[in-house]
Amino acid sequence: MTEEEIPRDDTVEFGAEAPVTGQGRMEAAWGSSEGDEDLTATQIAEPVTTGHVFEQIYKPWKGTLNPRWMRNWAILRHHLLGIFKKGHRPWGMPTRLFILIVFIASLSDAALTLLSGLIGDGGLHQLWGISRDNLYGHVLGFFPRNVLYYPIVAALLVGSVISEDRQHGTSALYFSRPITRFDYVGMKFVSVALIQSFVVLLTLALYYFAEIIALGRGWAWIMDTFPLFLAAFLSGMVLIFTYTSIGLALSSVSKGKFFPGIGLLSIVLGTKVLAILVSTLFDREILYLLSPYDCMAHVGQTIIGTQPTYDQYSWTWSLASLVAMNGIALYTLSARVSSMEVTRE
Amino acid sequence: MVDELIIKTTDLTKSYGPHVALDKLNLAVKKGATGLLGPNGAGKSTFLKTILGLIQATEGEGTVLGHDIRTEGDAIRARIGYMPEYDALNPDMDAIHQVRYSGELLGMNPTVALARAHESLQYVGIGEQRYRNIGSFSTGMKQATKLACALIHDPELIIADEPSNGLDAKAREYMIQTLTTTVRAGDRSVLMASHLMDDVERVCDNIVLLHKGKLAAQGAIADLKAIDREIEIHVWGGATKLAQAMEADGLKVRREGRVMRIAHDGEDTTTRILTCAAQTGAQVRRMHEYEASLEDLFLVIMENLGYEVKTSEDLLASPALARKVDAPAHMGGGGA
Repeated sequence: MTEEEIPRDDTVEFGAEAPVTGQGRMEAAWGSSEGDEDLTATQIAEPVTTGHVFEQIYKPWKGTLNPRWMRNWAILRHHLLGIFKKGHRPWGMPTRLFILIVFIASLSDAALTLLSGLIGDGGLHQLWGISRDNLYGHVLGFFPRNVLYYPIVAALLVGSVISEDRQHGTSALYFSRPITRFDYVGMKFVSVALIQSFVVLLTLALYYFAEIIALGRGWAWIMDTFPLFLAAFLSGMVLIFTYTSIGLALSSVSKGKFFPGIGLLSIVLGTKVLAILVSTLFDREILYLLSPYDCMAHVGQTIIGTQPTYDQYSWTWSLASLVAMNGIALYTLSARVSSMEVTRE
Repeated sequence: MVDELIIKTTDLTKSYGPHVALDKLNLAVKKGATGLLGPNGAGKSTFLKTILGLIQATEGEGTVLGHDIRTEGDAIRARIGYMPEYDALNPDMDAIHQVRYSGELLGMNPTVALARAHESLQYVGIGEQRYRNIGSFSTGMKQATKLACALIHDPELIIADEPSNGLDAKAREYMIQTLTTTVRAGDRSVLMASHLMDDVERVCDNIVLLHKGKLAAQGAIADLKAIDREIEIHVWGGATKLAQAMEADGLKVRREGRVMRIAHDGEDTTTRILTCAAQTGAQVRRMHEYEASLEDLFLVIMENLGYEVKTSEDLLASPALARKVDAPAHMGGGGA
């Protein structure tokens, strides 16, 4: 710090604005000279003004908040757009990549139908063209779709959808706003279901329209097959609903994403394997009623009108079992979401 | 209007089975900054959830910003900004989009919410870090982001639950400054729950003190402090005799070494102290009104309620330690 001495006529004075460093005062009181020098006032150089880098200013906002539908749309948009772009819910790269792979793989029947139309191969069309069995297979076929594709997509999606809010405390972000528990869970459910619909139902529709385009099908064919398409579509909706409700129920009882994902796969595939074992060893099909996939397959086969795999009991038992499974899952989901806290978890 | 009530409750009671979390709470919180104090289990969290309209009161009624807490929870939550104590941010999102999403959840248009998110983050001091992932943030930056989420829609009331908890000195200072600016310059109200009495004292003009679900104290901090008025004296020589003389004279004395605090006992307290000093020959080297801190006030109220508190020696030791400045260490003083 620089100093300069300014000659003064009278006594030593320090202005109120002078920086209090003690240095000037020490000089005046304990100066080492003889005391015969001219009286001076020691003035410390003014600190350099550097200006404000940041000035905190409160800015009011006079806008109007939109009603409930806009808040719900925000939740839906956040989850859906997160699959495609940054700035929304950050879905993991493996999840996004796997959905893309499954989407492309799910279009294999549509691609082969187009190919059969292009090269005019009747054999290929017979194998892959629109039929009751192929429509059923697109949605409810066990291998590969309900082993490698759809349950894994569902497991990857539902794993963290609710559990992350428990894990990170982000439930407070929702419930301290005018979001009801019903809206919260409803929009999360719809978001996950829509992403699965993109993979299951959109590819089903593309498959159906591929046949119309590739083979130039007329209204008569459409009138004949459209009920089958609708039945497959409905079966797909049941599949998506069931995977989502069971998956979200598991997500709501967890704080991580591994347990809900693995839990869903275990329920879907584990019960199926158990039922196959019992059926093979004891020739009893009753355990299929414990398998969500088999119940959906049984109901789907009935709706679409294909040959039923399960003939020891009526399809209505499968329907009742499916309703019970979804009921239990939704009850668990609602009970757990009701207990989510704002103040602490 | 300064005296406008933002929170009012009448006989508000919340029971969980046999456990009474809030017991006939009658509160009147004015516009401005109010500290919500109380030991663990006092009912602070239950109170916050009740006024947010998230849980139904068992009995009684209340209003927040004129809305009924029993039937208008949504309207209340749209007009307040809540800053939770614990982590409430997605670590995989960047700050700007997290704050924008919090605005969208209130019903803000995405474009408007994004613009406000920029302003809010700038206001809380992390404008330069707004595109960084929250997972890489320090505790102070996370607290600031939570505050930005609460402020995005410019709410009339901000409920801040332990806003400065776990922050370093610099971040804590900034948080306090931000809340103070929000109240003073922004003309907004803050309800601040905190264990850090210094912070509450710096931000708030009023406090509400809960204890076992009941209202232990409420009012302006300045008024409440007057309950605990004391005169602090620094004595040189004959301190024990002086203390005994003052106690014999009916004065209430708390002492640690040469520092004593005597409770106000009428207008002539000073005269009586000096008389005792003259009689015992003790030198009173310093005498001043002791300004109790909120910490002292809190402990005194808790003590009056029969709660487990520190001893009076402890009370004296903590804030008064810095005042032991009247004699050098080798002469038995504080060493300054």
